[in-house]
Amino acid sequence: MALKRSGTKYDIFTKIALVLVVAIVFFLIILPLLNILIYSTQPTGSAIITNAFSDEVIRQILWNTMKLGLTVAFLGTLLGFIMAYTQARVEFRGKKVLHIINLVPIISPPFAFATAVIVLFGRSGIITRGIFDWRPTLYGYTGLVLVLTLSFFPIAYMNLLGMLRSLDPALDEAGSSLGASKWRIFRTVTLPLLIPGFAGSFLLLFIESIADLANPLIIGGNYTVLASRAYMAINGDYDIPMAAGYSFLLLLPALLVFLVQRYWAQRKSVVSVTGKPSGRPTVVTSPLARFFLLSVTFLLTSLIVLVYATVVLGAFVKIIGVENSFTLEHFRYLLGGFANAAVKATTFLALIATPLAGIFGMLIAWLVIRKVRRGSEALDFLGMLGIAVPGTVIGIGYAITYNDPVKIGGVTVFPQVAGGAAIFGGAIAIVMVYIIRSSPAGQRSGISLLQQIDPSIEEASASLGASGGRTFRLVTLPLISGAFLSGLMYAFAHSMTTLSPIIFLVTPDISILTQKILAEADQGRYGNVFALCCMLIVLIMVIGGLINLLVRRFQVSTDRPLVTGR
Amino acid sequence: MAKTTGKLELRALTKEFGNGSEKVVAVKELSLTINPGEFVTLLGPSGCGKTTALRMVAGFETPTSGQVLLDGEDLSALTPDRRPMGMVFQSYALFPHMTVFDNVAYGLKVKKFSTAQIKKEVGEILDSMNLAHLTNRAPNQLSGGQQQRVALARAMVVRPKVLLFDEPLSNLDAKLRAQMRIEIRNIQRRLGITSIFVTHDQDEAMSLSDRIVVMRNAVVEQSGTPEEIYRRPSSVFVADFIGRSNFLSVAEVKKGASGKVTVEASGVKLKVNAHPKALKSAHPHLLVRPESVSVKKSSSSSKSRKANEGVVKNVVFYGNHVEYSIDTPTQTIAAVVSDPVYDEIVPVGAVAKIDFDESRAWLLPSDSAVITSEE
Repeated sequence: MALKRSGTKYDIFTKIALVLVVAIVFFLIILPLLNILIYSTQPTGSAIITNAFSDEVIRQILWNTMKLGLTVAFLGTLLGFIMAYTQARVEFRGKKVLHIINLVPIISPPFAFATAVIVLFGRSGIITRGIFDWRPTLYGYTGLVLVLTLSFFPIAYMNLLGMLRSLDPALDEAGSSLGASKWRIFRTVTLPLLIPGFAGSFLLLFIESIADLANPLIIGGNYTVLASRAYMAINGDYDIPMAAGYSFLLLLPALLVFLVQRYWAQRKSVVSVTGKPSGRPTVVTSPLARFFLLSVTFLLTSLIVLVYATVVLGAFVKIIGVENSFTLEHFRYLLGGFANAAVKATTFLALIATPLAGIFGMLIAWLVIRKVRRGSEALDFLGMLGIAVPGTVIGIGYAITYNDPVKIGGVTVFPQVAGGAAIFGGAIAIVMVYIIRSSPAGQRSGISLLQQIDPSIEEASASLGASGGRTFRLVTLPLISGAFLSGLMYAFAHSMTTLSPIIFLVTPDISILTQKILAEADQGRYGNVFALCCMLIVLIMVIGGLINLLVRRFQVSTDRPLVTGR
Repeated sequence: MAKTTGKLELRALTKEFGNGSEKVVAVKELSLTINPGEFVTLLGPSGCGKTTALRMVAGFETPTSGQVLLDGEDLSALTPDRRPMGMVFQSYALFPHMTVFDNVAYGLKVKKFSTAQIKKEVGEILDSMNLAHLTNRAPNQLSGGQQQRVALARAMVVRPKVLLFDEPLSNLDAKLRAQMRIEIRNIQRRLGITSIFVTHDQDEAMSLSDRIVVMRNAVVEQSGTPEEIYRRPSSVFVADFIGRSNFLSVAEVKKGASGKVTVEASGVKLKVNAHPKALKSAHPHLLVRPESVSVKKSSSSSKSRKANEGVVKNVVFYGNHVEYSIDTPTQTIAAVVSDPVYDEIVPVGAVAKIDFDESRAWLLPSDSAVITSEE
């Protein structure tokens, strides 16, 4: 039975919600994108676009970006798959711990990896030089691939782990009862069923790596990619149309790949999610396969642990690898004034944005699944734009759009919200970016949850006389509060760690932690970088935990245990 | 209990899904008047449009054309929450995050009843449905039958003018289903609420309804009391859908006195009642229900048997009745003999003489429907 029922009249609540959502999406993402398009038609901008393939420099940048994207997507998907397969199909001790370690990079600040990898494996790296007396050049393609793969493979890992777990073990059993060996089943049953997952992960990783700005700035060296070039156009050339031109070149493949990923790769998915898998999945027993899978897993996990150990240690010693004496001077320096304002502003703004992003994502999910008949896919796509568009492009779009009041025919329709002269010193633009960048996560989890809830539960509420808004508040929202919570947690962590759009929006009045980290990394003060990363991680964990507690208080359990008697 | 409100009229209700070449007509010009307090069942195979029709009445689907009127008032402009109707869903649709009490109280809270009133009303209805001991349970701690009763209580406590049932019993086991049928019917009679019940189960339709509306391919095939539908079906489809049937081909159709029609079936002349259209039909069929066929042992051999004799192909003994299938020269006849005498059961392979009870036979017009064979 189709989950969405067509033919319902839109009630007033739905209409208001729709108008609201479209208006918010328009100002938070469409308008900045439009302005990028408009500015990129100006001479220095259109020159970039029209000469994209003829100009050798631009062509090189384009190729650098694509090469980086493809390599990271390939390696990240491969690693993600190996880790996911090991997690799902190999028995070993410490599985759960491993799972958590694999997920840590998702909420970690963008610089932790780049700086730690330089300290560990760079020209004067603790391991490369200290142990092997080897002085490799890490800045450039190699370093970027290493850092980005480590940062983004968890996306593929989660994606593929979910698919592996939803594969019905009876398929494997059917294969082996037909006489196929385990290796043959792996080749002919498991792998083909996962192809959409591979494709989806590959495309997602591609988008993430071509959009990344923080790592190319720190470890990119002379290897220029579109995102860092657009940044340079603003911060070096002071040429907005040129930045818009590079943004356009970056936006095009990102959006294209995003569309392919959402509407092709996901459709191709043949893994059924209905019904609970029966029986237990077959476990890998071949010693050779176990050895291979466990070695890769162990190596990768050790690397992640090593990186974070470096971050933590580096924050508490003078110069890690050089002068390893315990010190609190980094923290003293940071808390002595340098980072105080940034900690407060970042936390405060992220806290404002988090519930708004959560509600916004949920509202879109609800409209898409339950209410909108025609164009629900378009609405879903609009909601996802915030994550599909590279952060650099959003940042530049905001800078162009909101450094002045938005006017239509001389009438101000939206005040100036970005830049030092704006109200609240430009804080509103930062909150807007946080919202549009974080709400897609809430939207996705809300959609998957709503698809599992029988629509007649909401119809029952309507038939008992409850209006659309009341039904949403009393029935829908409590039922999706689990997704709401995870959406909130993600929104908060994401806001706290986001850099690429923010870097274009910080003002003398509002400084943001991630931008401080970038500044310190630029100066080579890695001790401060590590200390800032530690502070950021602790902040995320503490406040994330508080949000968790708070929401759980209001959350109603849908599967409480049997109560004996009354 | 006399009721003056709750008269429901469906006027040429039509619903089309999709457009262009993919257009599907789910319900076509459904017109129906349901009197206050009447219990009407929409019966038909899956995909016949019965659920869509119900959902249009509830307001969950907007009709492509046509109207729904309650006591003369057009409901078309009203969203589901503005219609004074209660609905019981196939999946029960209890709010999983609320207790039984909160589920039942929901509609009253929406209607802004006072806390004391809510407590009283909910308590009364839970008591009357033997649910009082479950007041504080969560829905997932209830059995299917209990969930169903809570869903019913929740729909009725708000005193709707119309109750809508969307296959509410299909998730229950056979025994519980029979029990719930009686319970639903008793409560509905007691409160006198106009009801529409959608099902594909003929037993449900027969046992619950004042009137059955048989639907097929988006249109109403026949509307009538359970007796009319069973004894006087208007088409082969209806006869075949409700109960088991023998369709005999007949010869020498003649209109006789007293409105009866004389026909010859299996070599025997019978005086039967006929559908008005049957006489004009090229190949009318004679409907004889298996229980109207009597079976006796015959001394004929299988070679020398007469037209009204056949070879027993199958005998199934059920205790209170026995079911035969008997091959006559022209077709296979199903027969049900209730309370069979021990040594009068005709064994497989023997020849049996069959007689049709002409007072219960019914002559039908031919129908484009394929006659589905007995399972």
